[in-house]
Amino acid sequence: MTQADTIAPSPEAYQHLIDTARFQRSRRIPIPDFAYPEGVKIAVNFTLDFDAMLLRRLLNEPWGQKAKGEFGGRVGVWRIMDMFDAEDVKVTLFTPGRICELYPDVLRHVVANGHELADHMWEHEVYGDPVVEDAHLGRTLAALSDIAGKPVTGTRSSHTPALLRDKGVVYNSFTSASYMPFYELDSAGENPILQLPFHYALDDAMYFSFGWLDTPNNAQRVMDVDEVFDIWWAAFEQQYKIGGYVNFLLHPFVSGHAMRVDMIQRLIQRMKTLPGVWFPTCDTLAQHILSTHPMTPSAE
Amino acid sequence: MPWKDHYTTSDEIGIRDADIQWPNGVQMALGVTVNLNPASTGKGITAKDLAYPTWHFALNEGLDHFLTLFADLGICATFATPALVADAYPDVIDRVLAGGHEIAAQALIGEDPAIHTDGGEGAAIERATEILTAATGARPKGWYALSHPDDRAATGCATDATIGLLRDQGYAYFGNGLADDAPYYWVSDADRSEGLLTLPYYYHFDDTFFLMFPREGTGLERPAALLRNWRAEVAAQYRRGRYMNLCVSPARSGWGHRFENLAAMLRDTMALPGVWAATGAEIADHWAKAHPIEQTLRLTPSIWQDYPDSLS
Repeated sequence: MTQADTIAPSPEAYQHLIDTARFQRSRRIPIPDFAYPEGVKIAVNFTLDFDAMLLRRLLNEPWGQKAKGEFGGRVGVWRIMDMFDAEDVKVTLFTPGRICELYPDVLRHVVANGHELADHMWEHEVYGDPVVEDAHLGRTLAALSDIAGKPVTGTRSSHTPALLRDKGVVYNSFTSASYMPFYELDSAGENPILQLPFHYALDDAMYFSFGWLDTPNNAQRVMDVDEVFDIWWAAFEQQYKIGGYVNFLLHPFVSGHAMRVDMIQRLIQRMKTLPGVWFPTCDTLAQHILSTHPMTPSAE
Repeated sequence: MPWKDHYTTSDEIGIRDADIQWPNGVQMALGVTVNLNPASTGKGITAKDLAYPTWHFALNEGLDHFLTLFADLGICATFATPALVADAYPDVIDRVLAGGHEIAAQALIGEDPAIHTDGGEGAAIERATEILTAATGARPKGWYALSHPDDRAATGCATDATIGLLRDQGYAYFGNGLADDAPYYWVSDADRSEGLLTLPYYYHFDDTFFLMFPREGTGLERPAALLRNWRAEVAAQYRRGRYMNLCVSPARSGWGHRFENLAAMLRDTMALPGVWAATGAEIADHWAKAHPIEQTLRLTPSIWQDYPDSLS
């Protein structure tokens, strides 16, 4: 421990931390008396972050890494969507605007089969300049809406909530602050937006993608499908028992591999053996919540 | 899909399962890659690597196990071999070739091609090719650049120039592509619609990442996870009628209980009707005829628009 570490904060700095702690806690507002549609015990959102090679390119990674991402657009997204269609499960594809421009064929195909397109930033990054952020979000929503044939209502991003609301985005899926959907205020305590929480324990890349988030070689998990099946079934089962919610975050370049498509299909088929399991798109779930549990001044 | 400079390596149109044609109506092709590179880093083989006890094991008991198993099961494998290894161990090369297997190239000293600068990569490929040709009596048809344990990516290595250089020097295929799980064409020149046939590789089927990774003695040892991945992928690809590649080293999978896992999986796989366990060269030769680049590669012009506020 260095000497600097032992210096206590000033009274002002300490009070600032207290204020921050209280404010941050107040930003997440649970939805009282949350209820699903009649007959539904749990909602299961399968969501796909359709990045393909974009993030690899953004990080200027070598060709092998870009090819690893390229699998998502070349093979993975088609294969996994075939499986979801075979199981009649509707999903949400969080898609960067650039990817939307570059993969119109598959996106038209998934829209025609009843799936949802939602924002995942222009090039998988939200930049600090508000003018650039506005341009990127506007361009992405325009590209996605053009393919979807209707306005886009969702995002998975750190975009500014006021900007999202201004452009008609009503939900985000970018946090794990609770099991259940909730409303989240921005850093000024304003602009509530519905959050459909995911959790990194339900993210395929954590288990399967080597070097994810710049993890060092000696910290690799590189797990097999049976291990992850058990983890994900346990996560689902725990929430099913309490009438909860799960949101799986998949990447076509990861979960589009043949053995993983089989594993996820097995997971879905086992879920279906239980009554009351609902597989909506995120937008379908969001519209249900917004209409039956709107953010009210009293809740705020 | 529209071509994207600096983003993609292929036309991004994967072949559908039903369109794949294997010879004689076989159901699935199986590619077994044997990694004969002892280099632990992208700098290539060092004297320390050559002195390593497990490399000694690889060249002796590990290799014995592999060759006996492959002969028992009728598997023709591809040995991805640095030129230095072929030059230094002619007896090993003789045994591998006598078993009906393929010796493919894996650089001069098993290095990452990115270490070559100022045009040196082409000369290094040429020199490696000459040495391997002299050692085996035939020019190698395939080139591998497999992952080293210390690489920051589990993909193997290729520079901007690698694929074009291999194509120019007459190679028939590149051995580790991750953009598909069926053979595909890695584009070397989009304007001319040129490319090199590429065989799939995925690190989830490579023992490098499961058996004492990244370092012996302290690394992660997860043979059961590797075995489950192999089995799950074989089941999926066999049903789809596609392709399965696994990558093993005699230093790792040649050892004891690990070898029993490999043997059990290969025995079960080869017991399935219609599994074609062929060398990379055989698979590439078939694919180039059944799915030639002229009919398969469907590059469409770029629609890329640059914006001042975006990555180009």
